[in-house]
This record gives sequence, structure tokens and C-alpha cells, in this order.
Amino acid sequence: MAPPENDLVAAQAGNNSSSDFVRKLYKMLEDPSYNSVVRWSTDGDSFVVLENEKFTKTILPKHFKHSNFASFVRQLNKYDFHKVRHNEESGDTPYGRDAWEFRHPEFRADRKDNLDSIRRKAPAPRKQAMSEETFPTQQQIVVLSESLTATQHQIQALQEQYFELAQTNKVLVNEVVSLQKMVRAQSQVSNELITHLNNIEDKRRNSRHSAHSSHSSHSGPSFHTGTLGLLPDGADEPAPELRRAREILNGVSPDSQADRELERLSVAYHQNGSPSESATSSVMFPQPGGPIIMHDPLNDPRHMVYPVGQTTGIDPFHSDHINNIPYSRPLSNPSVLADAPTQITPPPKDQGGQLWGAKKPRILLVEDDKTCARIGSKFLTIIDCTVETARDGLEAVDKINHDSERFDLIFMDIIMPNMDGVSATAMIRMVAPRIPIIAMTSNIRQEDIQTYFHFGMNDVLAKPFTRDGMVRILKKHLSYLLKDPHPGLVSDETGQNLGAPGPGPPASTQPYGGPPGMTIATMGGGGQVKFEQTPIQSPATTSSWHSPGQMSHTSPNIDGGGYMGAVSNGSGGMVMTPGGTQRQPQYANQVINQVPQVGTPTIGRMPEGMGLGDDRPEKRQRLYGPGQGAFVQ
Amino acid sequence: MAETDDRYDEGSVTMPDFGDHVDNGIFSQILEMDESETDRDFSGPLVINFFDQADETFDKMDKAVALKNLDELSSLGHFLKGSSATLGFNKIRDSCQVIQQYGHQLNIDGTTEPDGDICLKKIIEALKTVKVDTKTLEKSMKKFFGLPE
Repeated sequence: MAPPENDLVAAQAGNNSSSDFVRKLYKMLEDPSYNSVVRWSTDGDSFVVLENEKFTKTILPKHFKHSNFASFVRQLNKYDFHKVRHNEESGDTPYGRDAWEFRHPEFRADRKDNLDSIRRKAPAPRKQAMSEETFPTQQQIVVLSESLTATQHQIQALQEQYFELAQTNKVLVNEVVSLQKMVRAQSQVSNELITHLNNIEDKRRNSRHSAHSSHSSHSGPSFHTGTLGLLPDGADEPAPELRRAREILNGVSPDSQADRELERLSVAYHQNGSPSESATSSVMFPQPGGPIIMHDPLNDPRHMVYPVGQTTGIDPFHSDHINNIPYSRPLSNPSVLADAPTQITPPPKDQGGQLWGAKKPRILLVEDDKTCARIGSKFLTIIDCTVETARDGLEAVDKINHDSERFDLIFMDIIMPNMDGVSATAMIRMVAPRIPIIAMTSNIRQEDIQTYFHFGMNDVLAKPFTRDGMVRILKKHLSYLLKDPHPGLVSDETGQNLGAPGPGPPASTQPYGGPPGMTIATMGGGGQVKFEQTPIQSPATTSSWHSPGQMSHTSPNIDGGGYMGAVSNGSGGMVMTPGGTQRQPQYANQVINQVPQVGTPTIGRMPEGMGLGDDRPEKRQRLYGPGQGAFVQ
Repeated sequence: MAETDDRYDEGSVTMPDFGDHVDNGIFSQILEMDESETDRDFSGPLVINFFDQADETFDKMDKAVALKNLDELSSLGHFLKGSSATLGFNKIRDSCQVIQQYGHQLNIDGTTEPDGDICLKKIIEALKTVKVDTKTLEKSMKKFFGLPE
């Protein structure tokens, strides 16, 4: 690349009044030692390069700072030098076959003063240069567009990488938060245990003491003045392990700053991750902080090449989108399920109406096509349903976010502008896990239907839909609203509503079954039972545990109280180690050993560490990897 | 479509024969939604709206053809296919299906058609057909609904 640059520099210099290049040229020809390589012609009106190779390798670098003969020739052309052509066939080659002779009318050995009149050709010098470019324009465009594609790939790779890391980080933060809670709970338990044990110790010692003192009243009052904990009698020692345990426990005060940061982070993650910030999504997660793996942010349409805003309609099965359908794991979020009770109370069935009981079904019809929407609405209203329509998936999600219990059933078109029906379903499932969602589509291939079910749809109504088809769906999925449900049918059908069809919806109705990855179950029955035990113990023990100095360190109790509250609120309950409350001294020791290590300092630093340490090398790899590869092509 | 057939058999709707343009079973269901047969205040506007919609879509299709935008053509085809099918306008529906398929670079049988120019050619043909069919149907529909052409 060096020669053309020099070339350019020389060319620019040439635009000034005196031409550097021509001067250099002249100066070079003045040197007699080059005579065998390059010299003036005999007439002095042209110059000849006799030995091309030598000239390129030795003289060019010296005078023109490059060793590119083509460049030199190009430069000469720019100054309107021309190659002198000899008739080779006639053998009229005075300087030999390989010699290059150049001539410029003003460039003469005897006219050094005339050099300034040799100027760079003004008109379109570029064109000539271009014609000699190694890359024709066409090819350059190809190269450019290739590198653009490469850059795009790179960005996408980075994006993926970023979300992967963000996801990992989120999981880790959640994990840490839950571990913190666990640790807090355990230290609370340990405190209770120690209190309890101390209490027993106390009683035991007191009784032994009184016995002892009555036996040895002669030994003097000094024996009694020592506080209970400081009895010198080896046999009567007040379990120093217990005291030490409590001291250690109390010594480990949580780093509240780091805790707050973590809490903030985990809240932020939940909010960022939620389907659409513009929508009322933050309302959906009032109790974040559990050990929850949220949906995959990779699939967040805001970040993907998902054609939001397109007017004609998004086909989720289009190869561009099929992998971008958002929220592929919306059902693995137990907290949302817990937070979004969509319990529909069956109405009394003994009242009037043609098809339905007292409560008429409220239907949301999501359909971008006006004609279909009007026909669908008409079909539904004529059978006594209340119908609202949404023009695309986004509007549907908004409606459900606004009030997840407003509708009893959703008919959902698949291909729609702004957001397709499958994605909308996945989002709706986060707030309304149970509402039947019926795909309305003409794509009824088996794999399509599987996708619908996978993303939480319950049934399919083939398009063009008919009134009877709609009625059949309503009867099947809203049997509990029917005026006259078949007795056998009801249980059967409701069972189907919840259990069938396919893998999607049933999972949503069993929050406790939980995904396999959820090692720390939320609000498991066992957890609650365990906690019921601790409070029972604590009043009894704390009330009798008064005098000793350790009482001043009651902060863990307060802390624990807060935690208990959190548990009853239902966010991220901990499962205590089964039998934990019974395993006494060893268990306490375990906790004590863990606390300083698991404790807050490490936790506090973690997000930072991840940002600086783990993050970069990975990114770098990605950054350079694909880029280079693409450019080589 | 057994359920639509017996509706039709009830003969609740007096309907001219639109030939293979219209699926009578489906269309009669729409007509049934009208409160009265003399004043078709549901189906009338619906059908007229459909033709407006069709015209808009054809305009967009013409533009997409000029730009050789197969993706756009495919989704436009899909769009109009939905409403025409729901109304039972089978001929329009079928042409839309053709446009949708070739927009996806697929033949009607679902095999891939790698040559974009062939796809575009097929789409142009189908678009021509569907425009004619739509005009024909629009005329008879307007007549049926007692509207000026």
C-alpha cells in the first residue's frame, strides 16, 4: 500500500506551483552513476529506463520512496509524460527491447529552468488512474457490500453475545439475591437455635447451680457474683461454642449498600426483560427478586431483526423471524404465574340466556384484516358474546397487560403487522397463563400447529372461519360459562382446557411442578411448613432469654422479621434444608462456616468483576473473528 | 364443511348464483348475519369494503411488482387471501394464494422455485387474473346488493 500513498503525496505536491515530482525526476537524471539504469536520451528530449528491475529496486526507493514501477509510470502519465513507442518489429529499439522511454515536450536535459511549466494534468486525472486501478468500481462495491454484511454479522454476533452475557448476569444476580436470602434465613435459624440452646443451657446450669450452691454455701458469695457466662468452673462452662457462634453471626452484618445495588439490579433486569416497556409491564412484576429465570432477552423484539413497524404483516414462520419469536420460555416464570391470578370464577349456572349462563363470554378478537375482524365480531356478537378487537399482536398484548382478566378467550390471527400472533401469545402467557388462546389461521400444517401450541396457544380455528367453528371452540373452551353444560362434559372439558393440548398451556397451570432447572423451588409446601415452625419457637425462646449481654445484638431478629414478611408476601420463598431446624449444633456451625465466605463482600463485587473480566475477551474474540474471515473473502 | 352446508340447505337466504367465484356456503353465512334481507346493513358494507381493500392491495402489489419485492408480494397475497376466503370469494382467494406462494419463491405444490424472475412472472399473471375476477365479482355483488356500479 505504500507506493500509492507516496504517489498521492507527490501528486498533491505537484499541485503546487513547483512540481516536486518533476524536480525529483530531473535530479535523479542528473546523477551520472545511474547511467546504465536510467539516463537522458541522446537528444536530451526524453529519458530512458534501461533496466527496469534495477531501477525499481534501487533508484525508485531512493528518489521516490517506493519501489513500484507501475506507480512511477502512473505518476509520469499524470504529468503528461508519454511513453515513446518504437517499432519493435523493425528492430528499431535504440535502448534495447526492455527499455522504457518517456517524453514530455517541456522536459529536457538542457531546460532545468522549464521544470515549473510541467504541471500535473488538470482534467480528470482520476479517470486515468481509475482505469489502471486494480479494483474496478464494480468490484469495489462488491467488496464494500461484503464488508458491510460482515459488519452486520459481527454486530448481530455481538448482540447475541451481549444478551447471552446479560442473561447470564441476570441469572447470577438472581442467584446471588436468592442465596443472600437463604443465608439470611439460615443465620436467622441459627440465631433461633443458639437462643434455644442457650436457654436450655441456662436452665440446666441454673438448676445445677442452685444445687451446687446449696451444697457448697460455705465456699462464699464470691462464687455467685460471677455472671452466668463467666463461671470459672470447667464443668459448668456455658457452652462457649454457642457464644462464639452468636458472636460470629452477629458480626456478619450484611453489606446493605451492596444489597441495595443487587436488589436494584435484579429489579432492573426484570423490568428490562419484560415484554414491552411502553406497555404496563412494570406493573406485571411487582415482586421481583425471586430466583427466577426470566424469558430470554435475545428474543426481545426491540433488539432483534424483528420487523417491528412493518405494515403488511409479519409471518412468524418466515425464515427471518422463526428464530426471533419472542419469549420462547414465557412459561418458566413461576413468579409471574403466582402474581397473575387469572382465576375465573364460574358464574352461577341457573340463570337465563340462550347459550350462556349469567355471565356472557368476553372475547378478544385479534385480527389485522378488517373484513375478517368484522365477520368474526359479527359471528360472536350474534351468539351473545362481548367482543373487542385488536388490530395486531401489539394491541392485543396491551389490552391484556391493561387488564389480564377482562377476557375469557382470545381468537388470535397469526400473521399480523407489528407483532405476529405467536409472539403476542407468548407475551400474553406471561400475565394470563390460563386464558384460552385460539389461533386463527390458514396455515394448518402440523409443524405450524405444534409451534402454536409450543408458544402457549390452546387450539386452532382454521381460516376461513365459520360461525359454527367458532361456536364449537367456545363451547369447548368456555364450557364453564355454558348455560346448560353437559355434566360429564364440564369436568372433562375443563380438564382439557388446562391439560390439553400439547406442551404449552399445561405447564403454565402447574407452577409448582416447575421447570427442572428451578433448584430453589418457590413457595414449596415444605418451605412454608418449616417457617411456621421457627416463629413458634422464637417467641417462647426469646421471651425467656432476657438478661445475657447478647441481647443487645438483636438485629438479626429484626432482619429475620422482615424476611418473614417477604416470605408471606410470596416472593421467592426459601426452602429450608429439610430437617434443618432439628439438626442443632452441627447445623449452626455449618452456617457459621459458610457465612463469612458466602457473605456480602464477594457478592458486592461480582457484577463489576463480570463486566470487566469475563466480558471482554469473549467480545474481542467475536469482534475480530468473523470480521477477519469476511474480509479475507 | 358440513356445518356450513346444512346452513345453506336451510335456504334462509335467497342468493343468486355467483358461479365458481363464490363459495355459497360461506357467503350465505355472512348474509345470515343481516337483520333483514331487504336491508343488508352488515353484509353490504362488508362486501363493498372488501372491494376497496382489494383495490388498495392491488395498487400495493403493482408497486411491489415494479420493485420486484417478492416478500412484500407474498404478504400482500396472504393478506387479501384471508379476507377473500372469509367471504367465500374463492377465485380471488386462489389467485392470492398463487401470489403468496410465488412471493415465497414456492411453486403451488410447495417445491422451491429458485428463479426469482419466474416467480415474478407467475405473480404478474396471477395479479392480472385476480384483478379481472375481482372486477367481475364486484359488478355482480353490487347488483346483488342493489348498489350503483
